[in-house]
Amino acid sequence: MPFKKLVGWFKNIFGGRKIIRLGLYGPPNAGKTTLANTISMDWTGEPVGKVSEIPHETREVQKKEKIIVRTKNKVIEMNLLDMPGIATKVDYQEFVDHGMSIEDAQQRAKEATKGVIEAIKWLEHVDTALIVMDSTRDPYTQVNITIIGNLEARNIPIIIVSNKIDLEDATPGRIKDAFPQHHVIEISALKGKHMGELYEAIAEHSR
Amino acid sequence: MTEKHKTKSKSGIELEFISSDILVSKNEDERIEYILDRVKKNKILIMEGSLSPMEESRLIEIDMTQISDEFPGIEFATLGEKEKGFREKIIHLLGGKTGGLTVVGPSRLVKRIKKDPKRIFLLASKK
Repeated sequence: MPFKKLVGWFKNIFGGRKIIRLGLYGPPNAGKTTLANTISMDWTGEPVGKVSEIPHETREVQKKEKIIVRTKNKVIEMNLLDMPGIATKVDYQEFVDHGMSIEDAQQRAKEATKGVIEAIKWLEHVDTALIVMDSTRDPYTQVNITIIGNLEARNIPIIIVSNKIDLEDATPGRIKDAFPQHHVIEISALKGKHMGELYEAIAEHSR
Repeated sequence: MTEKHKTKSKSGIELEFISSDILVSKNEDERIEYILDRVKKNKILIMEGSLSPMEESRLIEIDMTQISDEFPGIEFATLGEKEKGFREKIIHLLGGKTGGLTVVGPSRLVKRIKKDPKRIFLLASKK
């Protein structure tokens, strides 16, 4: 083992460990909160937030601090930041279509717009980002491209999470084809599938 | 504007092609305000030049501040080099342009926008 690696290993085991701010980004309904809950349940036994099929359920950044993840060769400590979904439109009619009252839908839309702004403002404060994409949908969207472009410009490590691979119409290969320059991990956050691979990738690529 | 023209724009969808010369003298927020002002008038803009990732996220941020019951937001797509090579950098330093395109429209009109690295597909409808 080279000296530098050995020092790093000792530091990692005996202290001086950096706490990583891990941001979960993506469009609404990609499964960010489901993933945050799975990560948090795996290592702390507690969930992070409520999950819903109605878009924009997460309208404020939800934090879970001091999650210690142990992988094959590394122990990492992280603060998990589950971001509101980023979108270019928020139409209260969409919430009404999901059965909400007009008043509640308008309030939800107002909160959702603030959530999008908050998520964008956090882009410069995360150390590593997981970009969560729904593998049943077209990944090459402007929102995904904008998020990735921002993180690349800030030199923040990115791991693309191709979520919902348990669904019949999932085509995770499209995500790899769309973003060949990035690490793509295929998972099902709901079923806990391939989470070990994701933890290894976080440990390897975070800084 | 003639009466005939007014009637046409009420029943149809208005596209506006904008040269980069119009936007170049404005700062980032002025450019975005200019874009959103026109989009809120139910126009689909096709602009010469691409936006940087920072401009794209700023566009989303300002768009969010303007969302109301009547204006639920935008759809947009950009084409163009994100990573400029040496040739493009030199051209930009000399004040030249190396292409790129941005399409922005109100989400109530733009029903679908899809892009691949070289093309943008847009479906617009008033219904």
